[in-house]
Amino acid sequence: MVSLHPDTGFLTEYSSGSLSPAQNISVSAHLHFCRECRDHVDCLDEIGGVLLEQIAPAPLGPDSFEQVLLKLEDTAPASIVATEPDVASDELIQLPKLVRRLLPGDTQWRRLSPSLAIARIPVGECRFELALHKIRPGGRAPTHDHKGLEITVVLQGSFSDDDGVYREGDFIVREPGDVHTPIATQNEMCICLSACEAPVRMVGPIKRLLNPFIRFKPV
Amino acid sequence: MLAERSPDDWNDLLVKVGLDRDREAFSRLFAHFAPLIKGFLMKGNAIGPEQAEELAQETMIKVWRKAESFNRRKSAASTWIYTIARNCRIDWIRREARNRVDIDAQDIYELGEDNPSYSSLVRVRNKENILDNIGELPPEQLEVVTKIYFEGKSHSEVADELMLPLGTVKSRIRLALKRMQLKLVNEAQV
Repeated sequence: MVSLHPDTGFLTEYSSGSLSPAQNISVSAHLHFCRECRDHVDCLDEIGGVLLEQIAPAPLGPDSFEQVLLKLEDTAPASIVATEPDVASDELIQLPKLVRRLLPGDTQWRRLSPSLAIARIPVGECRFELALHKIRPGGRAPTHDHKGLEITVVLQGSFSDDDGVYREGDFIVREPGDVHTPIATQNEMCICLSACEAPVRMVGPIKRLLNPFIRFKPV
Repeated sequence: MLAERSPDDWNDLLVKVGLDRDREAFSRLFAHFAPLIKGFLMKGNAIGPEQAEELAQETMIKVWRKAESFNRRKSAASTWIYTIARNCRIDWIRREARNRVDIDAQDIYELGEDNPSYSSLVRVRNKENILDNIGELPPEQLEVVTKIYFEGKSHSEVADELMLPLGTVKSRIRLALKRMQLKLVNEAQV
């Protein structure tokens, strides 16, 4: 059961198409798990529909419809599934389809500590960087704080920190300055999607050395 | 002359396009919605008339191609078409930003076939509530709602533009949603 949801602000921005790509993908990953929020977004979309109906129409050029008819002849019906590359290895097969699609064919896991590995997901934006975080069963991720907003969506397994336990589908927002040490649940690998606004900084004497690794540049 | 069409007619026409590839139905949808989409896209001043026309055409071509997946229980025709126009706008912004990562908005928003857990009655009532109340919103709430939906601006972009604290923008949105009596599933979130 999903217990942590994006707030109405996030869902409104999702519905209106105003989130950055990494945030948008994070909300979508949550919706994959969450019936309630999917319904909620459907309701919010209706606002867009009503506004569309009420706007002053802007007339199109005289040939506009004919141009479109010509293009209808050209285009075969949409085939969205056909292009989906199956890049997911066995351990990732349960992830939401969108996340699997986004992973580059040669997903590179970078080990940041004995328990934590990270694979970046290129989304082509500067503000947020998107990555998969994999914590081995019972593993403890390095304590880190946040320079900016961090959104985490649990995709598989569960983890806990000082504040509680997070399960599949949970959407966790960390504000700048929050310090935490995530620990994966004993019996299962935990995989999370993480959208970070600014580089995450590790704290503690030795972990500080790892900082350059995590302060990767956005694509 | 032409009687005013009810939203149900648009739903019927869209279903016809999906089932029968009905060009007559499509031409009526086009005549009604394409100018609205163009107006919608030009609202933010970021997209010029020519671009907006191209995107309106692109939207309608997608309407034709995807009509089969329209689910009237889940949304009204206008809402469904809105989501396609929104996705076209997102893709256009990505192209303009020279973002070479190939993620279509459709991939992000497509969550697979599913029916909402509420009935179509609830959906219709929701929509009526929005229609009845959107005109009654205080100007400062309507301004924020339209900036977010028409211009695709984030809360923080709207806050910057209007020189307001982010919290004020967020609370205006919350108040607007409350006033439109959206029966949100998770009331605690509002």
